[in-house]
Amino acid sequence: MEIFKIENLNFTYPLCKEKAVSNISFSVNEGEFITICGATGSGKSTLLRLLKKELSPLGEKSGAILFCGKDIEQWEQRDSASLIGFVMQKPEQQIVTDKVWHELAFGLENLGIPAETIRSRTAEMASYFGIEKWFEKSTSALSGGQKQLLNLASVMVMQPKVLILDEPTAQLDPIAASEFISTLKKLNSELGLTVIIAEHRLEDVIPVSDRLMVMEKGAVTGFDTPSEVIAALSGESIVLNAMPASARLFHKLSGNGKCPLDIREGREFIRNNYHNRMRTLNKEEYIHNKEKALSFSEVFFRYERNSPDVLDGLNLDIYKNEVYCILGGNGSGKTTALCAAADLIKIYSGKITVFGKEIRKYRNQTLYNECVAMLPQDVQTMFLRNTVGEELKNAAEAVKLLPVSIEHLYDKHPYDLSGGEQQLVALAKVLSTKPKLLLMDEPAKGLDANARLGLVKVIHKLKAEGITVVIVTHDPEFSAMCADRCGLFFRGNIVSEGTPTEFFSQNSFYTTAGIRMTKGYYENAVTVDDIAALCHENGRKDGKA
Amino acid sequence: MGAIDRINPVAAAVYFLAAAGIAMFSMNPVILSLSLSGAVCFFFIKSRSTGIKSHLYSLLLFIVMALINPFVNHNGVTVLFIMNDNPITLEALIYGIAASAMIISVLYWFRSFTEIMTSDKLLYIFGRLSPKLALILSMALRFVPMFGNQLYKTEQAQKAAGLYKEDNIADTFKGKTDIFSIIITWGLENGIITADSMTARGYGCARRTSFSLFRWRKGDFIFLAITAALFAASLWGTMAADFAYYPAIAFSEADYRTVTGFTSYGLLVFLPSIFEIKEALRWKYLKSKI
Repeated sequence: MEIFKIENLNFTYPLCKEKAVSNISFSVNEGEFITICGATGSGKSTLLRLLKKELSPLGEKSGAILFCGKDIEQWEQRDSASLIGFVMQKPEQQIVTDKVWHELAFGLENLGIPAETIRSRTAEMASYFGIEKWFEKSTSALSGGQKQLLNLASVMVMQPKVLILDEPTAQLDPIAASEFISTLKKLNSELGLTVIIAEHRLEDVIPVSDRLMVMEKGAVTGFDTPSEVIAALSGESIVLNAMPASARLFHKLSGNGKCPLDIREGREFIRNNYHNRMRTLNKEEYIHNKEKALSFSEVFFRYERNSPDVLDGLNLDIYKNEVYCILGGNGSGKTTALCAAADLIKIYSGKITVFGKEIRKYRNQTLYNECVAMLPQDVQTMFLRNTVGEELKNAAEAVKLLPVSIEHLYDKHPYDLSGGEQQLVALAKVLSTKPKLLLMDEPAKGLDANARLGLVKVIHKLKAEGITVVIVTHDPEFSAMCADRCGLFFRGNIVSEGTPTEFFSQNSFYTTAGIRMTKGYYENAVTVDDIAALCHENGRKDGKA
Repeated sequence: MGAIDRINPVAAAVYFLAAAGIAMFSMNPVILSLSLSGAVCFFFIKSRSTGIKSHLYSLLLFIVMALINPFVNHNGVTVLFIMNDNPITLEALIYGIAASAMIISVLYWFRSFTEIMTSDKLLYIFGRLSPKLALILSMALRFVPMFGNQLYKTEQAQKAAGLYKEDNIADTFKGKTDIFSIIITWGLENGIITADSMTARGYGCARRTSFSLFRWRKGDFIFLAITAALFAASLWGTMAADFAYYPAIAFSEADYRTVTGFTSYGLLVFLPSIFEIKEALRWKYLKSKI
């Protein structure tokens, strides 16, 4: 049965010339899992919001949206609110109330459902989602992943027929993100719930989707099973960068047949088609500078007197003009280490040295003057002014360091920019203090694939300018692309480190998709480009070029 | 979690109003001493962790307040001594002690009240009165820590980005006001997302109900009934017990009515303490059986 039927849908925002959504027609069957992908500004969010009457943006709209055979405008508010569930990007801001149980009950309270029914429904939801343990907690005490799960659960408690999600995992770390996606898959297969999700991290979501929709400039350019859609993409398509590693490899090698979507299929694709007579790729050896830029020696830190040590005797040396990535799980102390290096928290034992001088000896804020700067995880906290232009008043030189021009953004409010643009503006602002050591906390979080590639370019450029960069990240692929050396943080200490090739080749789980796909076949293929190069060297098994 | 924490918040609130209410409107020394001992006893049982310091402050407050009255009020017939041509009387001193006993006892009732009535419970009570008010309070309770957290994050981010690098008071002050102003913008900006999330979940499409984790159990009704009965009896009894401080201390003879009143009030103020002790003993007994 068709749950949604969209016919010739057009939408234009007020005061805009171009259509945000242009001439879209498609239908969604009950029980389908549909993923929508596209670059930032391609109209994904607008399309999704048009599907939910309460969130429809203001503007000029034509065409029809039928939900269960009836025009969406004709549905009673009560029914459309509960039957179409909507989850947005920011986990924190969607939460309305102060307690988890109250948040779960919120939607049902709105519908005027009696308290006894609410009691049983929230209880049922809480046990299904495993929220029982934090049922009575304050919502502000939850982690990002828990918050987003709560948002999902408090929509599900209204028993929707279809669930619409607008980049729900953008603000989550990779582990929480893939847990979230598997919860969605569970809802889809166990309850037959229809899911429509827009995403820019497709690695996890593509293998579970039935159909994939590609949007470019407000129009649908492809809508079919994921492997068909990806195989049909042109090599220059910007959407391609967001695809799973195996699919990107397939494209790089211009493979034919069925496009591999996950690691397993990627492994089969390589083994079936390419030899492995040459297993290792020759890579330049990395030799670090002699001088240290940042050095931790036996550093201990804890937040409260009775809490455990977050930094537990940390020893770490980062050399001049090096890009160092600190990887590790949540709560391993990565961000704390970065804050300690920026002297934002006071360590209780040990020594931190910045360019040969102990951090305590930088008096009167001199540390932040042409020496150290930090780009925080939430870049919104960097902005103080009403326009980008005012924000970057003293940053003319810094703006030139960026690989792309941001001058067209100068009249906008910083909050109105996309995640990637915000990142660039914040970075320019940080660089205006002319730091020699730049600390970045999760810079790739919330960025789409192209913005992420842009960021890699920025980091290479900063290195070329002689700046030392320390990056805290969850993202192995990102660090493989930009780091000189990587270190794994675990329980307040670095447990292993090395160049990306050494580091990721020795790991089996905490590693890039490239290594996971070629484990036991090739030795040191960290990125998709590495694999492609090795495959070319070895040649195809069927002898074709 | 003690016995009182588990009682329905409405019943608990009624209890506190009853116990503190009689003490507030009566100047009868029997009632006041019962109220004071009951309130202090319950608070001691309920929060053993509270330091001795805060109790010493209360004691100091008690003494100061008791001593002020005789120095400003010179009514009464029993003169203790003369100070600056003003008589200091025994009646005024006793009145002072009674008045401060009242204030301190009410203070202790409210200390226990705030300890027991967590934000959830207060919201539940307000939710009975108006579901909208309850929602606003709940959203405010959510917003305050979020706002504080963002303020802290922005402060740190700006510090590391060199906002205060001039390092003088004027610069610091300007930086702080800038941060505060952008935080307000941030709050409004994020309010839009919250509002979307509310409409998406049907806010305003029907008459809201108010859900809460608390429910009425048999025990709550019994507790409420006992409270009401004891309250009525003590009100009825104490109305008959006349007590005058000025010009000389004078009180009516004790009869069955005043005795009933005092006994009921005594039971009322010690009711929660009795519950707590009973529960503690029961656990001890159960433990010894295991």
